[in-house]
Amino acid sequence: MIEFQHVFKSYGRGRNILADINFRIEPGEFIFVSGPSGAGKSTLLKLIGGLEPPSRGSITVNNQRIDKMPPRARPYLRRAVGVILQDTHLLYDRSAMLNVTLPLTVMGLDNRTASNRARAALEKVGLLGKEDLKPIELSGGEQQRLAIARAIVNRPSILIVDEPTANLDHETAQRIMDVFRDFNRVGVTTLIASHDLSLMANYATRTLLIEAGRFSDFPGVAA
Amino acid sequence: MNRLLRHHRYALLVAVRRLLAQPFSSLANILVIALTLAIPILAASILISAQPVARQVSVSPEVTLFLKHDATLASAEKTAQRLRADYPSQIESVRITPRAEAYAALRKDPNWSDALATLPDNPLPDAVIITLKEIPDMAASTANLIKDWKTWDDVDLVQHDSAWVRRLEAILHFARIGLGLLAVGVALVVLATVFNTVRLQALTQREEIAVARLVGATEAFVRRPFLYLGALTGGVAGLAAVVIAAGALSPLNSALARLANTYGTHLQLQLPDAVSLLLSVLVVAILGALAARWSVTRHTRF
Repeated sequence: MIEFQHVFKSYGRGRNILADINFRIEPGEFIFVSGPSGAGKSTLLKLIGGLEPPSRGSITVNNQRIDKMPPRARPYLRRAVGVILQDTHLLYDRSAMLNVTLPLTVMGLDNRTASNRARAALEKVGLLGKEDLKPIELSGGEQQRLAIARAIVNRPSILIVDEPTANLDHETAQRIMDVFRDFNRVGVTTLIASHDLSLMANYATRTLLIEAGRFSDFPGVAA
Repeated sequence: MNRLLRHHRYALLVAVRRLLAQPFSSLANILVIALTLAIPILAASILISAQPVARQVSVSPEVTLFLKHDATLASAEKTAQRLRADYPSQIESVRITPRAEAYAALRKDPNWSDALATLPDNPLPDAVIITLKEIPDMAASTANLIKDWKTWDDVDLVQHDSAWVRRLEAILHFARIGLGLLAVGVALVVLATVFNTVRLQALTQREEIAVARLVGATEAFVRRPFLYLGALTGGVAGLAAVVIAAGALSPLNSALARLANTYGTHLQLQLPDAVSLLLSVLVVAILGALAARWSVTRHTRF
C-alpha cells in the first residue's frame, strides 16, 4: 500500500515541485503517472522509492512512514521497492550478470543463490544467454530490460518505473510493457511514469495526472 | 555473521579491483608513502644501533685521578681515604684500579696487546676512580673539585670521564624527539595521500555509488571498499617501506664497516625488531583506513 497525505516537495527555497498531493494505491495495482515534462512525475517516484524525503506531508509505503524514517533505515525500504529510472544507471564496466546480482550482494546473499536468482530474473526479461555481455554490448531495449531484471531480482513488492519506453521503438516498448504487466499479474504493485498516451490506452487501469505540481486521479481504460 | 563476512569479502575484492584498475596511480601513491615511511625506519635503525654504545659506558659522573708514576699503591689507598673523609657530601663512591690490574686488562684487548708487548714495563699509573653524587649545579661543583685535586702531591692528571657520554645521551635524546616529529610528519603524509586517493576514487566511482544506493545499499556498504582501499594502500606501503629500508641498510652497513675498521671497532646498523616493524605497518594501515573514512564521508554526499 502506498499513501500520500498533503505531500509537498520543493528544493531549497524554490517553488513547490509537488503541492498538496493526496492519493492511495492498493497492493497489486497497475498505475500510470502522467503529465507534461517537468510536472513532477520523476520526483513523485523518487519520493515513493525513498530516494528523497518530502518537504512536508506524510508518505506511507508498505506500512512504513517514509517522512519519519531516519536516513539509515531508508536503504532497507529501497530493497522492497524496485526502481527503474529513466537513465538506466547500469554499471558499464561490469557484465549483465554482475549488474543484476548487485542488489543481492547488497543484501548479503551467497554467490550461488545470487547467481541462480539473477539467472531467473534475466530469463524473465529474455536476456538469458547474454549474462556475460557488458551493457555497452546490448541494444537500448536490452539495456532497459537489464535494468528491469536488476529491479526485480530481489523480488520487490512495489515496482516504480520512470519513462521505460522513451527512445525505444514501438515493438520493443510493447515487449517491455508486457514484462511489467506480467510482474503486476503476480501481485507486484507497479507505477509507471510516462507521457506515452498509446501505452496508457493499452495498459492503464488508473492514471495519476500531474500538472504544475498538482494532481488528478483518473480511472484507466484497460482492465 | 555470514552476511557480514560476505560484505567484507566483497568490499575487499572491490578495493583490490580498484587498486589494480589504475596500476600506475596506485603504485605512485604506495611509493610516496613507502619512501616517506622508510626515512623514520632508517632513522630508528641508526638510533637502535647507537643506543648500546651509550649504554656500555656509565653515564654517572665519574672523575679519575691518575697518580704519578712513582707513587705507590699505598699512596693510592691514602688518597682514596682522604677523598672519602673530606668530601662525604659530594662523593658517592671511590675505588682504586691498580696499575697491574689495568695493564692486565689492556693486554687482553687485541687492539693494545701488540703495542704493549713492545714496551719494557708497565707504563700505566695507579688510578683512583671517583663517582660523584648527582647534585644541583654539578658542572661548577665538579670543576672546583677537579681544580683542588690537581694540586694534590701524588696526583698527576685528573680526567672527567663522563662528559662525552652525557653528550652522546643528549644527542640520542634529541634524535629520539626528532624521530617522534618525523613519525608525525609521516602520519600526515599517509593521511593526505590516502585522503586524496580516496577522494579521486569516490569521484570516479560516483555512478557505482549512486547505483548501490538505488538498490538499497547502506552507507556502511558504500564506504567499506574505500576503507579497505585506504588500509591496503597503507599496509602495502608499510611493507614496501620495510623492504626499501632493508635494501638501503646493506650499502650503508658496508660503508659504516669500512669507517669503523679505521677506529679498530665493528659497527652495524640493524632494522628495528620484527614486532616493531609489524606494528608500524599495522599503524600505517589503520591510518590509511581512517584517512579513507574521513575522505569518503566528505566526498560521497550526493
